[in-house]
Amino acid sequence: MIYLKFKRIEKIEDAIELLQMAIKLEFSTLPPYLYALYAIRPGTNAEASGRIRSVAMQEMVHMCLACNIINALGTDPALAVPTYPGPLPGGITGGGKEPLIIHLLPFSKDAMAQAMAIEEPEEGAIPFPHVMTLAAAEPTFMTIGQFYNYLDSYLKTLPPSQWTKGRNQIDDRQFLQGEVFAVNGYDDAHKAIVRIVSEGEGHKKDPLDFQGEVSHYYRFGEIFYDQVLTKADNPLGFAWTGTLGVDWNAVYPAIADPGSHDFSKDPPAAQAAQDQCDAAFTRLVQELQKAVTGNVDRLGNAVRAMFDLRMAARHALTVPLAVPTQVAGPSFRYRPDLTKEAVQ
Amino acid sequence: MSVLETPRLVFRGQITWDPITTNNYIQQYDEGDARTNFWTGAETVATFRKKAIDAVLTDGSWNPHGTHRATYYDTSVVGVDTGKGLSADDPIVKCPVSFMGMLVDLEPYGSTSSQLFFDEMSFGIAGGCRVFAPRTTRMIARYINFTRNMTYRVIAGVASVVWQTSFPKANGLRIDPHDSPTLVLLAKALEDDDVLGLTVRWNAYRTLYYDNPTNMTALAKQLHDKLAGGGFQPNPARSELVGVLGLWRKGEPPAEPGERALLTQPPGVGTVASAHVRLTADQLTLDLANSIPETGVDLTKQNLGDLTAVAVAADGKTVIATLGTFGYDAYRKEAYEASAGIVTLKVDPAAAQKAQTADIQLRQKDGTVLLAETALRAVAQTPNVYLDAGDTTTLSVQVLDRGRPAAAGVDVTLVSPNTAADASVTSTTDAQGIATFPLAGETGIIEQYVLWPGQDAPAPQAFDTQQTTYVNVRTLPADSNLADPNQTPPTWDNVQANVLKNWQAMAPCMDNWLDLGNPDQVKSFAPMLHKLTAKENFEAFRYMPVVRDMTAGQRALLYAFLDGPKPLAMAAKTPPRRSQRRLSRAMRGT
Repeated sequence: MIYLKFKRIEKIEDAIELLQMAIKLEFSTLPPYLYALYAIRPGTNAEASGRIRSVAMQEMVHMCLACNIINALGTDPALAVPTYPGPLPGGITGGGKEPLIIHLLPFSKDAMAQAMAIEEPEEGAIPFPHVMTLAAAEPTFMTIGQFYNYLDSYLKTLPPSQWTKGRNQIDDRQFLQGEVFAVNGYDDAHKAIVRIVSEGEGHKKDPLDFQGEVSHYYRFGEIFYDQVLTKADNPLGFAWTGTLGVDWNAVYPAIADPGSHDFSKDPPAAQAAQDQCDAAFTRLVQELQKAVTGNVDRLGNAVRAMFDLRMAARHALTVPLAVPTQVAGPSFRYRPDLTKEAVQ
Repeated sequence: MSVLETPRLVFRGQITWDPITTNNYIQQYDEGDARTNFWTGAETVATFRKKAIDAVLTDGSWNPHGTHRATYYDTSVVGVDTGKGLSADDPIVKCPVSFMGMLVDLEPYGSTSSQLFFDEMSFGIAGGCRVFAPRTTRMIARYINFTRNMTYRVIAGVASVVWQTSFPKANGLRIDPHDSPTLVLLAKALEDDDVLGLTVRWNAYRTLYYDNPTNMTALAKQLHDKLAGGGFQPNPARSELVGVLGLWRKGEPPAEPGERALLTQPPGVGTVASAHVRLTADQLTLDLANSIPETGVDLTKQNLGDLTAVAVAADGKTVIATLGTFGYDAYRKEAYEASAGIVTLKVDPAAAQKAQTADIQLRQKDGTVLLAETALRAVAQTPNVYLDAGDTTTLSVQVLDRGRPAAAGVDVTLVSPNTAADASVTSTTDAQGIATFPLAGETGIIEQYVLWPGQDAPAPQAFDTQQTTYVNVRTLPADSNLADPNQTPPTWDNVQANVLKNWQAMAPCMDNWLDLGNPDQVKSFAPMLHKLTAKENFEAFRYMPVVRDMTAGQRALLYAFLDGPKPLAMAAKTPPRRSQRRLSRAMRGT
């Protein structure tokens, strides 16, 4: 489980700051998930790939919804790219409150364990909004679910005049039908937060989200345990059964944390492959930034960049490094020098 | 019999439609030759794509960056019926229904040959209450209702479509009932030898384009500008849907409704579209999912007042039994969405007995006949057929007599509408009520045939999706010259010009997966391209090209290139054989 440093919300600017952090957080979970996904050899691990891909898509949805909320409050979202290995935004710590360093790991049990740590649900059903606003003693840390619920409890107190209808909203007209929707007021924001929390963590006593689908933590758990979470006649209602068919060996020999790797000692082809990955990722960030700040038509350009990134990753994962038995996936480095365009 | 039997699940939701529309126009695509139209030798992929974008403004092409995907969203089980009436009291209720297919028109110019290629359907979630259904047969649009909406008429927004397929229990169909009584009953029913598996039938209606019912001109301009600005810019349409999952029994066609057919009376705005019904000893179940019109884009159902099902004498007028009456509350919007348009009436056993051998009609209070039964129906087992020039196949047609397999000896005529009656071909049913027609592909062409059952039956005057059952046949040209390495050496230039350039130009979405203009990339994906384009994977969701128009010659040339210096694996096709019964291009007068 991961924890964020608690920050009291006393005014709208505090809420905006937390929302900006939420956007960064949602975005920063994508690279570790995608790195694991890309490292799976094509035509293998279909069940595992499907689960990781579905979680990554929902993280994109969550980021768009968080951007819609902040836009509805009259502020432009700002994307930011963490470096890997490195900490997640928000002063996030691990279960023992130690700093949590996120790595880019190829598909493996370690990668799934890290993903489960990111998505682990909070314990028990906590009526958080009331606890947080009424508690005499403030907590020092909170889970992602508690964080969103706390944010929700504040947003609920805002007057209608605080919300702007139709400001830079991304809806499901082109992509992610039924998943992304405009936020024009508190009710929409609440719906978005419920979706984000439910899809991410599920619930301690129920692994299903609000749509009856398995939540992120348990999707990664199914891969980690190589079992399927199945409805069962026991007090908990579910049991781990069967096999998912995970093949931990059907993976490219990708190094961990390519961002820490010195590619200058690798063959030119490997360097070029990394540059292609970096360029595509940078374009993705740039186009997304435009899309969420008033130029929604650029969302299609961002999606194209995302596909370019996948193609570049596929290629990079077949190009040997100086150690010829090793390859590298994308480092997810933001390098505007490669696209000659900086985020405004 | 059928999905109108219990137990059954009812579901409701929405679907996106994301076809590439560029090949809908003769300016951009030749559907006979199966080629993208590059009008000059100098035309490049880039110039073609620009023209395709311009066609958004000039031709109404609404989705040049489509992907062909058709995906359910916000779709879930909304009710069950185990024989005690519709209920929401079952754990499977509210569970998601998942489907993703590829929407492909066999005949790209037309509107009556749409099909959905897919791999699986799922009702519920993995690990929980669920029906998991691997595909055996693709879905093909049936009973297209071009008068469904009385006022909303944008592109195909006016229409509704029946989609159906069936899942054999011997082909991976899996039911995990857990604590769902309905799924327990379904699983139990599958043990019956008479039950072949499950059938899903759903109705798509009120298709919105640009996610907006109005202001199309301005929205088209916006789309054009967005496309001109680069990136990947799909513009999917979306429909409402209601559906039902139930039993598939022996004698029932897998891909088209086979119950007793009540056909629409002379079509027009506001008329009730054809429906299917199931009559037992004391119950009449009507599938009106495709039938009652909506008055506008808000989906209010037309109020036709009380509707009565009757059985009539041979004169088609005299009522010999009244089966039951239902009011607007049974077919208004809310009831329709909760029941998938299925209405069940309790019937007096004596009246039901009379109706077993008499035509059923649906009438308004003033006696106006909205629907009237046609006893004999001829339904193709596979209504859309693909052939390569030189190939032959057999078209199997199930003839149904009041919803049951017809007896032996019933004539069925395969006829091309609007041609002389002597251009038709007649076959006769066997003991299972099945008639067969040999088909032979001669040359690149797309043809449409009507199936007409009954002795000395007059040929239909026109093709009508509501009145007639029909078959679409696409024959792809042989392109033997491409398969001959002496005529067309398997160089990159030849492969690009004769094979890949067609889809690179037509399908910008391919850029998301593979640069078809890059020989190194194409070569590096050789094993995957072999798999995706293999004929044995034709039914698969990811088959390439998605529009299923790769000729045998193109495939041979592509494989020769992918396999490098190896000799051509495929010999040139033998010249196409003539067929005595095949209705040729000449018979169509074209």
